[in-house]
Amino acid sequence: MLVFVLLGVSVLIFAILMTFSPERRAMTYVETPQQVKDIPQIIKQHGLDDPAHVQYFRWLKQISTGNWGWSFVAADTVWNAFWRYLPITLELNLFTTPLIIIIGIWLGTQAGIHKDTWLDHLTRIFAIIGWSLPTFLFALIMLMLFYGYFPLFPPGIIGDKVQMFILENPDKFHSYTGMYTIDGLLNGRLDITLDALRHLAMPVFTQVVVVVALLMRVMRSSMIEEISKEYVITARAKGADNKTIYFRHARKNALIPVVTVAGWLVAFSMEGSVSVEIIFNRRGIGWWLAQSAIALDIPVLMGMCLFFGLVYVVTNLVIDILYAAIDPRIRLT
Amino acid sequence: MPKLIETRDLVTNFYTYEGVVKALNKVGLVIERGTTFGLVGESGCGKSVTARSMMRVVQEPGRIEGGQVLFYPGEDGQEAVELLSQSEAYMQSLRGDQISMIFQEPNAALNPIMTIGDQVAESFLFHRKKEMCAKVLEDLKTADLPWPGLKKLLEFFYRRAAADPGDRLCCWASRTPILKRWQQRLFREARRRSVEIIAALDIANADQVVDRYPHNLSGGMKQRILIAMALACEPLLLIADEATSNLDVTIQAQILDLLRKLKKKSISSILLITHDLGVVAETCDRVGVMYAGSVCEVARVGELFRNPLHPYTRALLDAVPKFSVSGQLKSVEGNVPNLVDPPSGCRFHPRCPLRRKICAQRLPELALAGPDHLVACHLAGGRSGSAQVWGGR
Amino acid sequence: MADRHPRLKELKFTLYRIFRNPSALIGFCLLLMFGIIAVAAPYIAPPKYPRSPYVMPHKGFSPTPRPPSRQNLMGTTSGQYDIFYGVVWGTRTAFKIGFVVVGIAALVGITLGLVAGYFGSLADEIIMRAVDVAFAVPLLVLTMAIIVAFGRGLENVMFALALVEWRVYVRVMRSGILALRDMDYVQAAKVMGVSHVRIMLRHLLPNGIYPVLVIATMDIGSMVITAAFMSFLGLGAPKGYADWGQMVALARNYIIGPPGDPLKYWYTIAFPGLCIILFVLAWNLIGDALRDAFDPKIRRG
Repeated sequence: MLVFVLLGVSVLIFAILMTFSPERRAMTYVETPQQVKDIPQIIKQHGLDDPAHVQYFRWLKQISTGNWGWSFVAADTVWNAFWRYLPITLELNLFTTPLIIIIGIWLGTQAGIHKDTWLDHLTRIFAIIGWSLPTFLFALIMLMLFYGYFPLFPPGIIGDKVQMFILENPDKFHSYTGMYTIDGLLNGRLDITLDALRHLAMPVFTQVVVVVALLMRVMRSSMIEEISKEYVITARAKGADNKTIYFRHARKNALIPVVTVAGWLVAFSMEGSVSVEIIFNRRGIGWWLAQSAIALDIPVLMGMCLFFGLVYVVTNLVIDILYAAIDPRIRLT
Repeated sequence: MPKLIETRDLVTNFYTYEGVVKALNKVGLVIERGTTFGLVGESGCGKSVTARSMMRVVQEPGRIEGGQVLFYPGEDGQEAVELLSQSEAYMQSLRGDQISMIFQEPNAALNPIMTIGDQVAESFLFHRKKEMCAKVLEDLKTADLPWPGLKKLLEFFYRRAAADPGDRLCCWASRTPILKRWQQRLFREARRRSVEIIAALDIANADQVVDRYPHNLSGGMKQRILIAMALACEPLLLIADEATSNLDVTIQAQILDLLRKLKKKSISSILLITHDLGVVAETCDRVGVMYAGSVCEVARVGELFRNPLHPYTRALLDAVPKFSVSGQLKSVEGNVPNLVDPPSGCRFHPRCPLRRKICAQRLPELALAGPDHLVACHLAGGRSGSAQVWGGR
Repeated sequence: MADRHPRLKELKFTLYRIFRNPSALIGFCLLLMFGIIAVAAPYIAPPKYPRSPYVMPHKGFSPTPRPPSRQNLMGTTSGQYDIFYGVVWGTRTAFKIGFVVVGIAALVGITLGLVAGYFGSLADEIIMRAVDVAFAVPLLVLTMAIIVAFGRGLENVMFALALVEWRVYVRVMRSGILALRDMDYVQAAKVMGVSHVRIMLRHLLPNGIYPVLVIATMDIGSMVITAAFMSFLGLGAPKGYADWGQMVALARNYIIGPPGDPLKYWYTIAFPGLCIILFVLAWNLIGDALRDAFDPKIRRG
């Protein structure tokens, strides 16, 4: 099933790709700047005038060997640039994902338990506003307030001083993961970690506010549904107190449908990184993707489609595993 | 016989978007110690709501609006506790311990993602914690532990918990990682008891069943598990809410047989809610008939079947298929009234073949119409042998 | 007689339920306001070039925005475009984007969903596998890819969004139809020899459309957001076009003013930004109320 989805995505991308002229498509086969001049030769060499199905399988082979073409936005091959940009996005999502899940589930549970109280209404308002906020606009407003008005949280990935220090002392700071918060700790430089965290605060906040709203609402309605189920009365008739009913009985059941949504949202928040990275000037996957779209850098967009398809497939796999872990009725086969 | 539980003028409403559903209209019932009381009526007439109101487990959007539920915990049935005015904490200590309930949908009534053992053990953990801690303490004396400090620590915890089940320190420790493992012996004890009670209900391999999930078991098994949960703490009153309605006839018979046996052995009273008059005739001592949220007739089983006084009861009895009578089966004319806007006066009057003017105006009250025979009908009020009013059958 | 028709009665009840909800009322009022602005745009802000009213008029080319004055009610943004004009005509753009994208996507999605749900078997399999594949790539990424393929411009953004968004409607519609397909009245209609098209249109569509309506209402908001982001990036509306997202893009370099007065150019982003937020909020509020009103579980407790 998942392999099928990936194959389907590749067909989809190829279909989009085929709408381009052979000249533009030739760009996907370029690996160095010099080759850009030899486009006609590349067309001939790679048979870009061949029938579609022949080209498709050839292209698939190409992709699977890691040759994803040349990105002139990154001035590198797509493959290399991808691994260069990935840690920045990964770092952002490393902070947002747990926050979204924890806050969303916690607030949703509370709202579901205290249905129709002020807390429920407050979270409802928060959810609707949060959901109506375009990420890029909210990010701009955050930047305006917390960088312009209160110069607390600057945009970017890391401060100039730290950047200079790293550039000047390449031997003292070794990049293990490409994520400054973690590298700072690994190098024993707490100041670098703190500086990176300072730059991360606003992007993380923006993304969490926008994404958490939906998860919260889903958790709430799931919780309300579970609380009205028969087995809750059974537990009550056994003499269970509210805490036991809500947290031991209802919540775990309520989580079952939420797992799917949470998985989607985590994948979605990867996508949400595009606006956040553009506004806060964090040069990660999202930033690269947007810049490539602006510059019509085709190979990057095609590669990203495939990458996000992969994220989708992996997310679904994780969801399935989580399902089996929570729900004893489902057995992994 | 001394009373066990009594409801007086119980009123429960459900607040839905379509309006207020007046589910219970001044329900008054008395259940005596050591008897089986059957509550019959069509579906939707408020039988389950009555039972749930007694235990105060009515779910949203329902609310108990008025009346009293008197519970007599003492042997002589003198001292009464008014349950509706008690605190929720008191009710929690009562539910499952003194009054417990078996539900009609064994599939829905069990938490699908908890093991059977955990669900049964909950009853013990809620109500028998003190006792079990004392037992564990006893066992600890002879237990072999890897190092003496651990034994001291465990004894410390269990002594505190045995003295006061809600002990702050113990509660705190049960939430802290690693430290919370002190409870393991308690859980083991609860599990042992669960296996015991499940085995007592004629379930084979009880020690394996406790580790299964509800979806692994058959409907009859699940119903037994529910009974086990209800019986765990040997309650004074067991409410069986349509406990057998959704089961096959053979399993139904087994479960009823089980209930009868259990009643002889331990529990003192059963409130059996059903729409099956056959079940009532077989198992109950006294019967109450409900219609559209109010009780219309209460009598001893034999008396009710022999001499039904309320027209609704008669109609119900006529609707039971019999071998002796051939021809078309009679049904109760008309439909169940909409409880958002119930009929005025006697709620049965629009369907009643014998209605008079007064029936639409005044709600008849339950009145004694014979020895131990109460009926709420203007036409039978206070007179015995008034069956002649309707000219017999 | 018409009043007795069960569907009309249900509709009346639904409307009553919607308007009992204060947040729906707010949303409706907001939408009404935007609707009036959109309809009356030529009167509120008479276009300078009647042939292309969506081009914002501008005096001069100075990149520095000017604060609100009598001439420019909401000030001018970078390039001296009049913000007030842009906000007013941007309302039309927003409605256009929302209705066109959701309209096309919903039409395609509902049709495919009906076919997949009703006929099942092979048709279902083919359509749903296609949807599965379409779902694997996120909205933003796939939209960008299609825009890159077909070129920039607002029309292409709308086209690309519709091309991506139909997948949602197929799933929602199909799941609704699956629940209805085995209902007795549908089976009865089949047995009586009612044609497939008629069953789908008369029996399935009216009963299965509610979840689609809810999704569509909320989707208008999120489509406007996505289109605005595309314009913000420079993939959608061209510079000077009356589009809120494009106006935010113009304001981008001025969100932080000179040192000492960091919020000097607040008006450049505040007005178009507020418009986007309120517009989306209005649709979401209504969608939320619709969901509550249509949900049989919440509808009647």
